[in-house]
Amino acid sequence: MTRSMPKVLLAAIALVALALPYAARAHGPTRQKITESIEINAPPEKVWAAIADFHDMSWLPGVAKTNGDGGNEPDAAKRQLVLDSGATIDESLYKYDPAERTYSYRIEQVDVKVLPVTNYSATIAVLPADGGKSKVEWRGAFYRGYPNNNPPPELNDEAAIAAVSKIYRAGLESLKKKIEAGK
Amino acid sequence: MKAEAAAAMRAALGVAALCAAALGCTRAEAAEAFITDQSGDEVSVLDLTSQSIVARIPVSGKPAGIAMAPDGKTAYVTSTEGQYVSVIDTASRKVISKIAMPDTPLGIAADPAGRFIYVAGFYKPLLYKIDVSTRAIVAAVEVGASPSGVAVALDGAMIVSADRDDNQISIIDAKTFTRKSTVKAGTHPFGVTIDAQGARAYTANVESNDVSVIDLKSAQLFATVPTGKRPYAVALAKGKGFVTDQYGGTVSVFDLETLKPLKRISVGEYPEGIETSADGKSVYVVNWFSNEVWAINADTLAVTAKMPAGDGPRAFGTFLRESL
Repeated sequence: MTRSMPKVLLAAIALVALALPYAARAHGPTRQKITESIEINAPPEKVWAAIADFHDMSWLPGVAKTNGDGGNEPDAAKRQLVLDSGATIDESLYKYDPAERTYSYRIEQVDVKVLPVTNYSATIAVLPADGGKSKVEWRGAFYRGYPNNNPPPELNDEAAIAAVSKIYRAGLESLKKKIEAGK
Repeated sequence: MKAEAAAAMRAALGVAALCAAALGCTRAEAAEAFITDQSGDEVSVLDLTSQSIVARIPVSGKPAGIAMAPDGKTAYVTSTEGQYVSVIDTASRKVISKIAMPDTPLGIAADPAGRFIYVAGFYKPLLYKIDVSTRAIVAAVEVGASPSGVAVALDGAMIVSADRDDNQISIIDAKTFTRKSTVKAGTHPFGVTIDAQGARAYTANVESNDVSVIDLKSAQLFATVPTGKRPYAVALAKGKGFVTDQYGGTVSVFDLETLKPLKRISVGEYPEGIETSADGKSVYVVNWFSNEVWAINADTLAVTAKMPAGDGPRAFGTFLRESL
């Protein structure tokens, strides 16, 4: 088949092969997803009430304060999480459904040193569980912090998953504690 | 078990052969979907009649793109973390070959005559032409940055690539394998679909939340149609366009004649791959986050089935196996 291949193409392929060691070495980033959940001994309405305000992230450990505006209006609401370290995460709301007790948001801006992800979006939902209890599910979709091939270890897929999982676990456990203590 | 029995019965009765011989009989109704499960490193085979997974084919390197050969005998799968195209024999459910690529492949499309496949290299702006009989790259043509979706006109004469990072499409003459023109689209066009007449191309523009309708003959942007959030790919059926909105969790439907939005249908989470069955009656939607394939009736726009997939299904391209 090589004989029918134009010379130009052969040259192009040779060039491509030369470029390989430092360019696209076959590890294009793949979008990651995680789901974390927790059961809370309180009815869904009560749990939803604790998280329903997009501008109140006081239940998430590590958040010193939340600034923002736009209420709970999709495409209008924006919040900035100010972390204990002083670092910030800018987020915007794109779906809000109080009947289903769920909202979805995305990160508009974050330093990958603070959270090693790009193109991050997430949904948090309160679902009914047996015995009048609730299940809170937090689902995230994101790419790793380093967009190209051969990421440094702190910006690879595993680092992204670990960082997001850690936040979700801490947030859900804190929420459970807060709600169950307040009964 | 039920699905296998049904398939065996169809084979025994020679339904496909009868159908091909009979006058006015179009191709068999979509029977199977080959779904690239990117997180699961496999292609799952979904029987659309029994609505269950009947086979799981291991495919390494995070499979994402897929092109079904027109005769349904072979599926070609790109892996975003592998530099190869896996060739799957659809009947035996086996990877029979791997075609080495000089770049990370993503978008892929099959020539309707069954002789070639066209594969976009994501990092170098090249579209590759592969002869399926020898499984060798026989030509390459320069396209725009980060080529994503690839589509071929039904007569095989024209190929279009959605050049994501250049916000354009490239129109390529298949015979000479040269680029004839580029046309500006919305921001970050990802999936691209050509209509049956070869008259228009439709791109889903991830960042501008719309579809660009491009007239292929004049190589001009004809219209822009708003969609839900993060549109990914477009299917055409019953005079309508169907667009998967990743963030919206919806399929946006618009009228192909008036180009007016008709409806937004709630589907699973992060819908991505979308394709119309050969009879034009159903549209199949692959939901990446919720690991499901949903079916939509193209006339009534009702959801008619919710079926399982493996983990992280993308099915970016043509994934329906129409003939048995």
